[in-house]
Amino acid sequence: MAVTDLPTPPKRETAFGVRMRRWRDLLKTLLSNPTTFIGFLIIFLLLAMAIFAPFLAPPNVPDPYQMPRDWGATRMPPGTPGFPLGTTNQGGDVLYGVIWGSRTSLQLSVIVVSVTVVIGIAIGSIAGLVGGWIDETLMRIVDVFLSIPELIFALAVAAILGPSFTNIILSLCIVFWVKYARIMRAQIILIRQADYVQAARVIGDTKLSIFFKDMLPNASTPIAVQATLDMGNIVLVGATLSFIGLAESGIAEWGVLVSEGQAGIASGRWWASTFPGLMIFLWALAFNLVGDGLRDALDPRTEDKR
Amino acid sequence: MTSNLEGTEPPVIAEVRDLRVHFGSKRGRVHAVDGVGFQIRDGEMLGLVGETGCGKSVTGRAFLNLIPQPPAIIAGGEVLFRPRGGAACPACAGSGCHACGQTGGETLDLLKLPQDRMRQIRGARIAMIFQDPGKALNPTLTIGVQMAEVFLQHKSDELLQDAGISADDRNLAANALRRIAHQEDRWLDRRLKRFPPLRQAAGRIQQALDARVAAALAETQIANPLRVMRAYPHELSGGMRQRVMIAQALACDPDLIIADEPTTALDVTIQARILELIKTLQERHRTAVLYISHDLSLVRKVCDRVAVMYAGRVAEVGTVSDVFSNPRHPYTQGLLAAVPRAGARRGHLASIPGSVPELVNPTPGCRFADRCSQVMPACTQLDPVLGSVGEGHSVACFLEHPPHAGAAKIEKALTE
Amino acid sequence: MMQPPKTDSTVAMKAGDTLLSVRNLNKHFPIKDGILQKVVGQVRAVDGVSFDIRRGETVGLVGESGCGKTTLSQCVAGLTDPTSGEILFNTGQGSQLGDGDRIDKLPKDRYRTFRRNVQMVFQDNFASLNPRQLVVDIIGRPLKVYREASGSDLTERVVALLEQVGLGRQHLYRYPHQFSGGQRQRISIARALALDPELIILDEPTSALDVSVQAQILNLLGDLQKERQLAYLFVTHDLGVVRHMADRMITMYLGKVVEQGPTETVFQQPAHPYTEALLAAKPDLADDPDKPFALLEGTIPDPARPPLGCRFHTRCPRVTPSCGWEIDDIVRFLEADESLFQSLQGVERRSARDADLIFKDPASAVALQEAMKSSSVPEAMRAATERLTVEGSRLRATFSEVDEVQLTERGPEHFAACKLDHLSR
Repeated sequence: MAVTDLPTPPKRETAFGVRMRRWRDLLKTLLSNPTTFIGFLIIFLLLAMAIFAPFLAPPNVPDPYQMPRDWGATRMPPGTPGFPLGTTNQGGDVLYGVIWGSRTSLQLSVIVVSVTVVIGIAIGSIAGLVGGWIDETLMRIVDVFLSIPELIFALAVAAILGPSFTNIILSLCIVFWVKYARIMRAQIILIRQADYVQAARVIGDTKLSIFFKDMLPNASTPIAVQATLDMGNIVLVGATLSFIGLAESGIAEWGVLVSEGQAGIASGRWWASTFPGLMIFLWALAFNLVGDGLRDALDPRTEDKR
Repeated sequence: MTSNLEGTEPPVIAEVRDLRVHFGSKRGRVHAVDGVGFQIRDGEMLGLVGETGCGKSVTGRAFLNLIPQPPAIIAGGEVLFRPRGGAACPACAGSGCHACGQTGGETLDLLKLPQDRMRQIRGARIAMIFQDPGKALNPTLTIGVQMAEVFLQHKSDELLQDAGISADDRNLAANALRRIAHQEDRWLDRRLKRFPPLRQAAGRIQQALDARVAAALAETQIANPLRVMRAYPHELSGGMRQRVMIAQALACDPDLIIADEPTTALDVTIQARILELIKTLQERHRTAVLYISHDLSLVRKVCDRVAVMYAGRVAEVGTVSDVFSNPRHPYTQGLLAAVPRAGARRGHLASIPGSVPELVNPTPGCRFADRCSQVMPACTQLDPVLGSVGEGHSVACFLEHPPHAGAAKIEKALTE
Repeated sequence: MMQPPKTDSTVAMKAGDTLLSVRNLNKHFPIKDGILQKVVGQVRAVDGVSFDIRRGETVGLVGESGCGKTTLSQCVAGLTDPTSGEILFNTGQGSQLGDGDRIDKLPKDRYRTFRRNVQMVFQDNFASLNPRQLVVDIIGRPLKVYREASGSDLTERVVALLEQVGLGRQHLYRYPHQFSGGQRQRISIARALALDPELIILDEPTSALDVSVQAQILNLLGDLQKERQLAYLFVTHDLGVVRHMADRMITMYLGKVVEQGPTETVFQQPAHPYTEALLAAKPDLADDPDKPFALLEGTIPDPARPPLGCRFHTRCPRVTPSCGWEIDDIVRFLEADESLFQSLQGVERRSARDADLIFKDPASAVALQEAMKSSSVPEAMRAATERLTVEGSRLRATFSEVDEVQLTERGPEHFAACKLDHLSR
């Protein structure tokens, strides 16, 4: 229902204020959904953990992303003084790995998502706007990428590049842009026909301005939802890759820790795998919850009712 | 066409009494239909006009119990229907009394009818023609199959008779065929159907069915019914699809047809043809039609009587000639003046200022009060009710029926 | 009963020189098929259309779906490039329009003049406004594009525009979805007005609105025209609106202009049977309610294969032998006859007017021959048949050659493309 005549708004209303109110309203809708709220809470805690890592666990010297090793205290169970979550076979502090692993995961997901979103938007926009054989070629490449499962593809690329955490990031970047390109192209093709784009052309606005003012903002919703979901998925895939051993051993990374701990599970040393595994689970869950909430909140069919 | 030769009015076959349909929304209850009442007489075409959001479609759907709940809440009122040739009125045993409108037939409240009873009425006694025939037809079935559905649903016994199976036959084959015709066929029946002697009889049923479908299509002036029966909806033009919808609606010779903007999606010249067709068929079958539309000139062209709705209420009811030549409600007057017509100077159409009010938790008072040029203090406090201003012409406006002190108290008591 | 209304722009019309001229415009869309996207045909959406728009006048463009009115308006707005033909625009280089005024050949600065002087208002009031922009951005955008204003000056200009269309300062910082349909259309109009154009193309601006709101918008458009000497190209299917708004009107059918002339003349004496049928189908509230209003049979033919000769001859109630009868008319006739259509095996065409129809059996050929001599086909079709011979199961039919139907003058500024000199009533 359209609002016919709102009560006269407070004086000195500004464009900035109205836009902020829109964001605030969006956040309010998101937080009013209990599952999304839980997702936000988990993300908040994980982020806090990553930010305050140096205070929670004194950084290892010289490289804080390397697990500290205490060869005198291997295979300690949780609750051991000094090692509240126990230690690994190699005497690594599980708590340290869990805390510093959140930084690694954050790095991984932020880098991969921002790189892939930019690549995807660029390629999808070119395909959708230029059309013709360029579109055909790009989309066939996308089809090839999509026909291989993400994990297998990333695994193959990482294996070729050689085992290192940087190469995991690189391989995920190579794999994950495809979905964004797909989504962006579909959005562009839809929006290109929209009356407001035609209207902007009649005004005489430039193509570049139409792209940034009309097309990009209106195409952003599904991209944002996908990116949020991928923040979780990427950590999951990244952990899998490091679990298999495609990251350097000894790095404070949840997948690596799970991998190091799994040998001991059979002999009852469950802690070294369980705690980092739980972190991976929480991370992926939280972003998926928020992603789903975002999709519902941004659904054009429900947006007007807000 | 309402003027009967004997001077007596045809019986009322359907009636809406104080219907209230609300919709739950985040900002409160939307009173989409808020005390609507009108009557439909046998064999007449009643136009229900109003602007977007006035509740005319919801009212139309109430006749078929097609209001989705939730989000809708039926907050009160009755939708009464007296099928022709129905059971006798329990109050007077068929002799005609006030309760049954002198028809002697039983009166059903469609809102309280059990689902299975409603299914029998829907399509057979009350049919609907939708605005967009493209959406109302199933894209994966041929027209013939979809049309056959109606007959199988409501006319199974007649089909069996056409196929030469009398109701007394109680042998295995006849029972199987009966199940097929009633769409209750079991797995075994479908297998049996392929073998003699069932195959022939089943073929006869199919023939009878096809003949009926073809006849129904032919009645809507479709030139080549057999070809249309084999076609899928997307292969037909919009006008053709609407003819199929009309054929489907008329298939069981219903007493009442709800036509919800049946021509809005069509081109002007095709719209004229379809409307003329509906009018012709309505007169031939003596079917009552509730024609829901926003187009005043078309309502004037095809309807006998008209009810003007505004913001969930009926503002004015009367014969087409009365309402169009002598509108009494300021809204009707404004609406008619707003239609561009020959001789009006450009830029000088009489427009109604403002826009339709929001119907969230409304306060009592005339819904048109804030746009009305002749608003009085009473208009914003009391609900005007329909009152007669002439034979068969009623208006809900205090200009015609000034509120008196007693009414104010009653109204106040009612709304509290 | 029908006095020609004295429109305020009648005076301006006479004084006004030609602002925009469309000459022999064609826009064809290729129909592609198969994996190689081979072009298998052309939809002639706009086919040889010419007309002028003068300063300060309203030209109504009417027709049903598929008649090409939307494509034509997009060509005029410069949104689509025509296949051939030219659109000339007076950018103030003298009153006579010539080859140098073609919008596709204008130098950059004069193209900018054209661009800002021809604006457009769309039918779908919701889709034509960017849902992510505030009203101030939407209306202020043209001013920003041409660097006419910025900062608080821009805001004030936008407020002035809002006030002109009946909105106000309180609406500056709202999103489109917070308005009603009529208000959104006002925003669209304000945006079109921002650059003070000379021509606004109105593509069904009120057909999504209710009657009472439509009246508000039409009044607004009328007032703005008076104030600003605007010219309108008013595209619509609603004849009531055209009669109210337009000084001159153009009726299109399947890509061609069938009639054009001063609105009142056309309404009182339509010279083309299609215009006549359109007028009847949209009754005026002042008309006699018992007047017949459905004059036309059949559906609009496929624009990819428009009928020969006069494109309206398949539905025309006043059809003559010289309207362009062709073999496809026999096929259309056959489609209505199940048994004959089933036994038709093929059509061997020598030309569009001469072909062999091959049936399964001789009896069907004879049956069709009989039918085509009987009253089941229009009399005009029978009269146009030159040859109708049966050889075995083949029926050869030939129709007489006729001239293309051209727009001919029927009165001052009144043209119609019909073989009939006048329509008897």
